[in-house]
Amino acid sequence: MAVILQMTYQKKLGLPNYSSHSCSVSLTVEIPDASVAAQESSKLYSLLQTAVDNEIQSVGFMPDASTYGMKPSQNGNGVHPTNGNGSNGHSSNGNDHQRNQDQWNMTEGQKGLILRVVSENKIDKNEVEDMAQQLFGRGVKDCDKMQASQLIEELLEKTGKSKGRQRWSRQPARS
Amino acid sequence: MITTVEPIEGAPAAEPSLDERVEQLKQTISASRLSLYLACRLKFFFRYVLKLQKPKSAALHVGSAVHSVLKAWNKARWRNQPLTLKDLHDQFTKAWADGEEPVKWEDGEEAGEQTTAWKLIETYIRQANPTAKPEFVEVPVEAELKGLPKIIGVLDLVQGGKVIDYKTSGQTPNAEKVAHTNEVQLSIYSMLYRHNTGREEKGLELHHLVKLKTPKVVITELPPMTEQKQSRLFTLMESYVEGLDRRDFVPSPGLQCSSCEFFNECKAWH
Repeated sequence: MAVILQMTYQKKLGLPNYSSHSCSVSLTVEIPDASVAAQESSKLYSLLQTAVDNEIQSVGFMPDASTYGMKPSQNGNGVHPTNGNGSNGHSSNGNDHQRNQDQWNMTEGQKGLILRVVSENKIDKNEVEDMAQQLFGRGVKDCDKMQASQLIEELLEKTGKSKGRQRWSRQPARS
Repeated sequence: MITTVEPIEGAPAAEPSLDERVEQLKQTISASRLSLYLACRLKFFFRYVLKLQKPKSAALHVGSAVHSVLKAWNKARWRNQPLTLKDLHDQFTKAWADGEEPVKWEDGEEAGEQTTAWKLIETYIRQANPTAKPEFVEVPVEAELKGLPKIIGVLDLVQGGKVIDYKTSGQTPNAEKVAHTNEVQLSIYSMLYRHNTGREEKGLELHHLVKLKTPKVVITELPPMTEQKQSRLFTLMESYVEGLDRRDFVPSPGLQCSSCEFFNECKAWH
């Protein structure tokens, strides 16, 4: 009779400025019988530990302790603006802080549309930044593609340019 | 198979040309387009290539109004500015009157349908009692795929990491059947969610608002899209592109034709 062996390896490490991060990896395997459980456990432990150690070296977003959460808008909900858009589900690497200062996480088209709406409607950029913080707990540049889409909808609605849509009409506007 | 379709009186001027429209339709795909093509290629041709206009059915008008109010309700929860039932009723009255397309009402039908639609909304609001805040509401998204059309769509609601879609229905849905009949749509929504967030959805939900004498809500919870379903979706999308390349617009005669708005046009096809 087959035996299921399940193992989880978790590691939590401290980071500067009272931060910490953790990584956990789980595996479930089927083994032929209980007699090989000890041997398989040992292999699994080694495998999981290596996997966690490899991943946890990427510390992701690291706040600037002198400014983070202070100005211009308060991010009081404790949500860390991580990337969240990696195709493998992992967050960011150690370059994120630098990247976030000069790069946008969304598509070029979304970035262009946001900038255009802001410019054409003379909207204060800080207002848009506050909106993103309130809605998603992260700044505009850190919004992923989905958040950017929702933010654009909000901006268009705010400027009275959202056409809305007849979702259940036979010929929806976006189909 | 190549289909010939006679020009139909009343069809809008061909601008752009039909070939250009077909080429455009190959570039992007939505759940409704793909589902319709798979259900009946001739109906797809009438709706998306010829763009024949038909009056909106009563059922569609009810669905649109219900959806509009649920969107307002979810948006308000998302913004932490919840609406009262009275606010929602005002929204509903406006949505009912604002329908952009003409509706084909039978004598005395509209008042009854309006009452039914509001009852559906009221029932849903009272029963849903959500504890989680929406993450996304009515968000338009797209996903570029290599070698396949770009997927476009609008997600009704994302909450608790689950992608939720609203449906109005005249009968109580069977969970296994709706999972299958909505597979194309749900797989497309999964793709859109994953592509735009970099995360896998925690699950998918169909929220059916059922138009019974005493309205009820049926929530069908489904697991995240499997690799098998993703593979099926890609195969269906390939079939769509190949079909459009062949200009394959043959009808699919069956029980569904009795309620098709293109019944007469279909009969004239040869």
